[in-house]
Amino acid sequence: MRTIQWTVEEGIGRLMLNQPPSNTMTIDFFGEMKEVVNVITGTRNLKALIIYGNGRHYSSGADIEELLRNVDQKIMIENYRTFSRIEQMDIPVISAIRGVCLGSAFELALFSHFRICAEDAVLGLPESGFNIMPGIGGIRRVANLAGSAAAIEITLRGNTFRAQDALSMGLVDIVVPKKEVLPLALNFAALLPVKIDKENRNIYLHKFLKPLHAKT
Amino acid sequence: MERLDSITFEITNCIGIITMDLPPENYLPVPGFIPLKHFEKWIATENLKGLIFRGAGKHFSAGGNLGKIFEAGKDPQSIHRLVGEGIELLNFIQCLEIPVIAAINRVCFGGGLEIALACHMRIASENALLAFPEVNQNLMPGMGGTIRLPGVIGLPDTIKMLLGGDMLNAMEGQKLGLIDYIAPKDQAFEFSVNLMQKMTHDRPLKVINSIMKSLRNSRIMSRAEAMAEETRLFCSLAIDEAERRKSEKPA
Repeated sequence: MRTIQWTVEEGIGRLMLNQPPSNTMTIDFFGEMKEVVNVITGTRNLKALIIYGNGRHYSSGADIEELLRNVDQKIMIENYRTFSRIEQMDIPVISAIRGVCLGSAFELALFSHFRICAEDAVLGLPESGFNIMPGIGGIRRVANLAGSAAAIEITLRGNTFRAQDALSMGLVDIVVPKKEVLPLALNFAALLPVKIDKENRNIYLHKFLKPLHAKT
Repeated sequence: MERLDSITFEITNCIGIITMDLPPENYLPVPGFIPLKHFEKWIATENLKGLIFRGAGKHFSAGGNLGKIFEAGKDPQSIHRLVGEGIELLNFIQCLEIPVIAAINRVCFGGGLEIALACHMRIASENALLAFPEVNQNLMPGMGGTIRLPGVIGLPDTIKMLLGGDMLNAMEGQKLGLIDYIAPKDQAFEFSVNLMQKMTHDRPLKVINSIMKSLRNSRIMSRAEAMAEETRLFCSLAIDEAERRKSEKPA
């Protein structure tokens, strides 16, 4: 695979978005993402999945130019299904967010069960600024996590915001220095049960993530 | 500016402003304080991108005119009709596919808070006060407040607010999630206009409608249905934008 690197270490799967510097989500990426999700769901004894970006950034999201040249309802539905399958996984899925995390990339992070975010990360759903809208469930996820009013403001304004703002809205679970993001995600993944209760995410935040962070 | 009894409607920069104009407290004469027919006509104004509710003068609204309610209460049919009109109006507001903000200065009680709850966002001045005092008159909120409030602040605080009839200040309201932003003293309207402009300025109406529709779908449809509908809305916007870019490119 060219746009994604998939490895497993000590039972923890690492899905690295791999088109540096900005790890743009191209049509090729979405195709490979579907393949990787097939591989992941077929991998036995996987304890957790961590999603992160190669280099400084998580991902800047979809390639708008390419997307507008290739509008295809079938492909969109397919992409949506791929992200949904990540959300529906039984094993914990953790996004380790550094640098920019915008548009479809933020949607991917929102489909993860947990979000660990770097202090200097920049997040947002800027689609409306391009006269389109978030197309892969971002609106629903933001509304569920931060409320309808926040969902309206974020999607209509299309402004980017900082990690600390995302934390206060409930859109990320913890904010740490960028060097600690990936190690914290790995340590957290190691503590989590193989099958998590998604309706009660807060239990895991209080029981594992916050104590882990307090130790460092 | 248009006026209908004690309500005015005006438009600035594609933003509609509805003012309850019965100062000082802006008591609403009837639950259906704007006849739906007129309201629909206002909303149909070309390129209307957002709507703000406010009260004239110092206060948002102290609520409904209870005298009218008790009088109508003598006749079951007439009280049902009266309240039904209010419910219909607030449901219509909540389902609008443009953002609706309640700009709350000072007093926002009872029916006033019901209106605010039907809006998509609530911005309160730091000196705002919120309450459902109906219980003190042996009544309860009758325009959907008991149904909307738990969705906003959760069941335990709803019970406390409805049965206690206690007043909350803006800070307490924000802590519960009832208030989305706190504006400086008496500045809720100015704050609301500013935020509304940031959300609607430069945004084509179709983008606004699509996002609002998708958000609403996510609340009322099954997940699969909402997903399919979001994809359809997204693709329609993307096709428009692709066309627009093509036609803009020099030959």
